[in-house]
Amino acid sequence: MTSGRSFLRVLVAGVAWIACATTMLGAQHVLVPMDDMQANHLKAYGLAFTALKTGTKTEWFLNYRGGAFLLPEDPALRRKAALDGITVESVSDATLAGIRKEIAAGNMDAVALEKAPRIAIYSPPKSPPWDDAVTLALKYAGIEFTQIWDDEVLKSDLTKFDWIHLHHEDFTGQMNKLYLGFRDTPWFIEQRDRDMGTAQRNGLPHVPALKKAVAAKLRDFVDKGGFLFAMCGATETIELAMGAQNVDIAGAYSDGTPMDADADAKMDWIHTFAFQNVHLEMSPGVNAMSDIDGHQVNVPARRQPLGQFTLFNFSAKFDPVATMLLQDHRKVIPDYYGVTTSFAKAVLKPGVTILATEDGAPWVKYIHGDYGKGSWTYLGGHDPEDPQHNIGAAPTDLALHPNSPGYRLILNNVLFPAAKKKPLKT
Amino acid sequence: MVVRALVLGACVALMLRPESVRAQAQDQLIQRAIDLENAGKWREAVSAWRSVISAGQPGQGVLGLERVFSQLGQDDSVLVALDTLIRQRPTDRMLRGAQLRVLRAVGRDPAARSAFDDWVRAQPHDATPYREFAGQLLMEGRALLADTILQAATHALGSTKELRIEVAQLRAGLGLWHEAAVAWREALAQEGFLEQAAQYSLQPAPTDTRDSIRAILRAAPAPLSVRKTLGMLEMGWGQPREAWRTFATLAPADSAYDTWSDFASDAERATAWGPARDALAAMLTARPSGPVAVRAAAAALNAGEPLSALTFVAAAGAILPAATVRAQVLPLELKALSQLGRARDVETRLAANAAQLDPAAVRSYARVLAWAWIRSGQVDKARAALAQASGDDADEVTAWLALFDGDLVTARNGLRHPTENTPEVLNAMALLGRTKADSSRAIGTAFLALARNDSGQAAQRFERAADELTDAAPLLLALAARIHAARRRDALAIPIWQRILQRHGTSPEAAESDLEWARALGRAGDTAGAVDRLEHLILTYPQSALVPQARRELDLARTGVSS
Repeated sequence: MTSGRSFLRVLVAGVAWIACATTMLGAQHVLVPMDDMQANHLKAYGLAFTALKTGTKTEWFLNYRGGAFLLPEDPALRRKAALDGITVESVSDATLAGIRKEIAAGNMDAVALEKAPRIAIYSPPKSPPWDDAVTLALKYAGIEFTQIWDDEVLKSDLTKFDWIHLHHEDFTGQMNKLYLGFRDTPWFIEQRDRDMGTAQRNGLPHVPALKKAVAAKLRDFVDKGGFLFAMCGATETIELAMGAQNVDIAGAYSDGTPMDADADAKMDWIHTFAFQNVHLEMSPGVNAMSDIDGHQVNVPARRQPLGQFTLFNFSAKFDPVATMLLQDHRKVIPDYYGVTTSFAKAVLKPGVTILATEDGAPWVKYIHGDYGKGSWTYLGGHDPEDPQHNIGAAPTDLALHPNSPGYRLILNNVLFPAAKKKPLKT
Repeated sequence: MVVRALVLGACVALMLRPESVRAQAQDQLIQRAIDLENAGKWREAVSAWRSVISAGQPGQGVLGLERVFSQLGQDDSVLVALDTLIRQRPTDRMLRGAQLRVLRAVGRDPAARSAFDDWVRAQPHDATPYREFAGQLLMEGRALLADTILQAATHALGSTKELRIEVAQLRAGLGLWHEAAVAWREALAQEGFLEQAAQYSLQPAPTDTRDSIRAILRAAPAPLSVRKTLGMLEMGWGQPREAWRTFATLAPADSAYDTWSDFASDAERATAWGPARDALAAMLTARPSGPVAVRAAAAALNAGEPLSALTFVAAAGAILPAATVRAQVLPLELKALSQLGRARDVETRLAANAAQLDPAAVRSYARVLAWAWIRSGQVDKARAALAQASGDDADEVTAWLALFDGDLVTARNGLRHPTENTPEVLNAMALLGRTKADSSRAIGTAFLALARNDSGQAAQRFERAADELTDAAPLLLALAARIHAARRRDALAIPIWQRILQRHGTSPEAAESDLEWARALGRAGDTAGAVDRLEHLILTYPQSALVPQARRELDLARTGVSS
């Protein structure tokens, strides 16, 4: 009897082991390669986002096959991949074990992505006559976001968002000095009137004061743990607005008084993220804000030609944040202009992480840093697939650029807040 | 009196003699230097070009030395000669230009800048130094440095009016297309001969900047040269219709006629028959001409406008001699009448010319007449007309008649090598290749209805024929649906697409049915339905060539924008 019971126990255990082993052997994962095998890199980020949105645990294999994603086998995700033309590969447990071994042995790492980030894009209610690369990228990839503008920033609780994006906005309140060339155009007049109305609604005397208040609120968002991503003119002007809380840096056409003649000396660089000792452009007639931008595209005599920028290599295991922001299938990317195209090395604060730079040039393209409990990332230029983007030009059709390495940098940022928090060594 | 004249003549001859002798000697020296250069005797060529300089031709000599020293890999050797010569002739543009060019070629940019400054000092109120230096820099694509030079010109001269061309080229070089168009417009207003330079400069403008260029060049009042430039740009951008729209605004004059003529030839080469016809028509109005009328008639026919062709045929007939009309105009007239289904008129015209037509022409025109009868719906008369032709089974018209009769074997043989690739021909060939059947009355009546432009009957008959010819059923159904969809009869097309997908889900027409069905739903405002159909296509037919298009339309349906 005892031996019979023992035999039964062995049998049950054996059956259970076989069942378990069968399940494990049969278990499949889906690898989303992000190297040149990927047919649509941009939509692949949308697939990862969708997985996170449905509570599906996702892994990001940093530096492995261009920053591949690992998803569990799921018919709904498979369906989305097929519909969006995203290349996916089935991976068995055994193959996955091999991949993990390879990752452990090289400059690679596996980062768990836990939840879909709550995204906000700071963008005016009516589309301006220029496109916003991040809005385009998120829409194309199918990543949800909330559009916010000055009233929402000033009055609502920004902590409900993980990630806020700023693009072309001029936080000095001078509307990118477009007054010089576009003051009579209907869109300019409409924007000016809208901003003045918002300022009045919020009890602020003029647009520069409104934008300074918005900038201060956004800094507070980062301080409390938010992730801020800015491109184009927003990078330079939010810094100027944060540093100029107590000094007039706006031309008379925007606030009725000329710029403080001693503004340079009165700037407070303690409360900015990235820059210090910046010299302001004192002339309201020169379409530049300061010497932060290395390219000065709107000042013909100062304009520098476009080159190409190189993404830095970081240690995936020791610098996972920087590595995440740089996942790409290309390391050298053609540059593109924006109101602010690049960031002069001379004005960078110590401690700022340089993510991409142009060889031999006195400027960098892509920077990142921490502030309080949060972090910020700045990417120069307006649209990675439209190097000369002009006001009024048609928006970029991303269906024609599904493998854009420049747009990948933007989408890396979107997923970055989804990464499981672990001690950051950057 | 005569003596005085002789003496005067002798004096003049004596006075001119040394100059003429000297010029002859210089020519010989130059010729010798060129010969040595061509023979690759570089050292001797250097001496020869130095002799040219000594003989009083410094410009020629320096250019020669520049070339020869470049061949010897000693580009900077010419600089010594240049320094000496420039001291003697400080405002000589050729010498100064060569100096700048050589200094930059050997990488001595600061010295080039200093040479430029020296030239400016020698001619402080002259735009020449700025123009030469900026022009050289632009040629090398160094737009930023050229920009600096032009800004210095503005500062020194008070404006860049004299440097309009360089400013325009500079802006284009910097990708400032809007500004470049403004500058070219100003330059063209002053110097109309710059049309080609402006076109060359603005041609590379990216697509999304072209509307801005168009707006600037179109703004009234646009001088002739500006409009011509815009027209040339449109043609270069592959927009012949827009190009003609611009050229059509030119007032009839000799220069406009030449422009229209050039455009018409370009449009004919580009097979842009509509704009070609319009340009030729404008030429005809300005100057009646038989050959132009013939070209206009041919262009109209190729553009699918037989009625318009008949107008030009009449114009040509009124001008050209009878023999030319028979040889060149009559074929066009008969083809136009045939396309219009005016078989009686074709018969009348053939009867009127019968005495002068050779047998080959008669056979050829019999086919044209047969087509006219087919288009008018009278197949028996078409057959009778064709009886006058060869009667060859492989003949294309015979094949069509056989197809209308449902004789698929003869049709298959005759349509093996069609002379035209019209949609009807392609549909017929696709069908005959798809079915193994030898005969089908249903198919014959369907194609006949199509030939008579009776789309409703044609669609119904193709749909019915699908029950008869099962091996080609999905194609026949797709043909029926395409006819309905082309006429926006979506309600009739949708059940057919549905039938294809349900009963012939693995056929090549299934993916097309999904896509077209989605589009019809989208047109009706049923976005969710359209999305379902597009998703069905992508997931069910992942290997279909229509999948990329379906993905694009899916994005559009979901987001309302293309990206």
